[in-house]
Amino acid sequence: MELQGSVTIPAAPQQVWQALNDPEILRLCIPGCEEVRQISPQEMHARVLLKLGPVRANFVGKVLLTDVRPLLGCTLNFEGSGGSAGFARGSSVITLNAIAEDTRLDYTAQASVAGKLGQIGGRLMDASARQMADRFFAAFKAQIAGAATGERPIAVAESAGAEATTAAPTHFPVVARAASAAQSSQGESWLDKEKPRLLWFVAGVAATTIGVWMGAHWLR
Amino acid sequence: MTDQEQAPDDLATDARAVSITINGTCSQHHVQPRTHLVDFLREGLGLKGSHLGCEHGVCGACTVQLDGQVVRGCLVLAVQADGRSVNTIEGLSDSGAIRELQQAFVRHNALQCGFCTSGMLMAAHELLEKNPDANREQVREWISGNYCRCTGYQAIVDAICDVLASRKTAQREGAAA
Amino acid sequence: MKAPPFSYARPRRLADVLSLLEKHGDEARLLAGGQTLLATLNMRLSEPSLLIDMQSVQELKGLSVTSNGLRIGAMVTHSEIESSGLVAQHAPLLGLAAPHIAHRAIRNLGTFGGSIAYGDPAAEWPACLLALDGMVIARSLQGERRIAALDFFTGLYTTELAANELIVACEIPVATPSQRFAFHELARRHGDYAVVGLAASAQWNDGELDQVRLAWIGVGNMPLRSSATEQILQGQCLSDALLAQALQTLRSELHAEADLTHSAAAKQHLAGVMLKRALNTLGRPRQLAENSNIV
Repeated sequence: MELQGSVTIPAAPQQVWQALNDPEILRLCIPGCEEVRQISPQEMHARVLLKLGPVRANFVGKVLLTDVRPLLGCTLNFEGSGGSAGFARGSSVITLNAIAEDTRLDYTAQASVAGKLGQIGGRLMDASARQMADRFFAAFKAQIAGAATGERPIAVAESAGAEATTAAPTHFPVVARAASAAQSSQGESWLDKEKPRLLWFVAGVAATTIGVWMGAHWLR
Repeated sequence: MTDQEQAPDDLATDARAVSITINGTCSQHHVQPRTHLVDFLREGLGLKGSHLGCEHGVCGACTVQLDGQVVRGCLVLAVQADGRSVNTIEGLSDSGAIRELQQAFVRHNALQCGFCTSGMLMAAHELLEKNPDANREQVREWISGNYCRCTGYQAIVDAICDVLASRKTAQREGAAA
Repeated sequence: MKAPPFSYARPRRLADVLSLLEKHGDEARLLAGGQTLLATLNMRLSEPSLLIDMQSVQELKGLSVTSNGLRIGAMVTHSEIESSGLVAQHAPLLGLAAPHIAHRAIRNLGTFGGSIAYGDPAAEWPACLLALDGMVIARSLQGERRIAALDFFTGLYTTELAANELIVACEIPVATPSQRFAFHELARRHGDYAVVGLAASAQWNDGELDQVRLAWIGVGNMPLRSSATEQILQGQCLSDALLAQALQTLRSELHAEADLTHSAAAKQHLAGVMLKRALNTLGRPRQLAENSNIV
């Protein structure tokens, strides 16, 4: 199964990147996701309940980040086991592009499902993957929009103190520190919609510069 | 039809009492809700004429009659048959209801390993009832839900068409007499 | 494979079915014909705690004609529809579609309500309900509501039904004397899931098409109508030019997705073939259907 798409998110790449690497946000956005745990900077484990028509299958899987280009994109390699329901594996390439004040996120994905789910569900594979992707990005945009207006206490703001969900800071230390500095200022000035955007933009430029420099030297 | 008494615990998975008329005889049994009809017939009652192929309703080897209609025995729970009547290949054979079909099958070599045969006969029997004027194309369509790995189907279709034809002849002769 | 253990209830009253459904939520599954559910359980693609068998609920059975049209109880089986004189007279499209549903043994148990509730894009009944401007009648402990077919199917295996709701019946406006129907389906083998199918209805006024409904099977992620193509045909007389125009509109309107056996391009092409056949059928001077005896 192959999938590709593009979605425009009303936030700067920095915020989008952060959210993509935040297990708590992922847990809230992945349809049927019950748990996401950060195992290492590059690896997350997840448990997802797949609900499709008559099917209810629990998938336990892991996501590995490779080819990480901070703020620009990465490749996600995933594999999951649904017990007797089957086995899924695949990969997805995500790229971020700043378009004015927004971020265009392009994704391509390929996956194969083996076992019963693949046999029986094969004819609906593309359609169900597309539906999951649509639902994921709709929830993702809502999460980010909620953060921008301060309406929803999403993980990014919450995770400042919490230990389990501070994924962003732990695996890209330099980039995240620059980001969290911007975060706290963004949390205070949510009343004025334009100010946070400008701050994000500045933080994004700063973080990108630092990140690229870091990437060139350390994160090889 | 007997009432399903609600156990104090809605979610109790243990065996329930059921009363089913099997091949004309009503009897009481205890069976777990998860057990499908064919497993109940085969393992619970020793009626091994119905077979299990795919267990998801596509191969037809498990075809039995529920309230006089063919059904997939693997897609009916034994507890669903509580208060209803079931006929298996054993019953249809013993009663002579499918004698013509059985003889035609033998004549035309319409069985080799025999695994699909009980399902084929059950399906064919309902066709004879529902559409005695079926042509060859309609016979093929009707039994397309029963898979055979041995014969290549032609002999089975021949046998069924043979019975359809001889019944029509008998009908004409009966009318003429 | 064998199904996992579960509990089983067979209430006589609809209210009791709804109570159990409300109480146990997604841990309970409604058992109608079971032709999809039990296969799913046998393959362990679902492990519910409780099955609520609706076979004893009288309110869900029966075919009748009411002031709202032909009422089909949710538990009416595909075979009952196949052999019903009421259906042949008032909704002949269903009689045309019925023989395409799987095989006889499945049709003897599978139900109309079950098929509508799943909204499988490859199923016959959802498309027929769309083509006939049908209505879904849903009930929960909070009450009853009527949902038009056009609003009912919203996505892949997704319908307007709430988690605590079930379908009680569907209603279909009775066929008018000037109404014509066509049903065409392509499958690799008889009884297979449709590759492409079309359920169509239209009023025929002296050669002019009116109120054309084209409902597609196996083309998208849900049953859907091609309204732009319907508009092209509205008020027109059949002709080669009209057909060409309709085919062109269909090509731009329908975004068929590939499946295991056919590419998107193949499906698009076959959809055009189905449209041609359906328009041919609608254009025949006398509607002759295998299972119907239309007046």
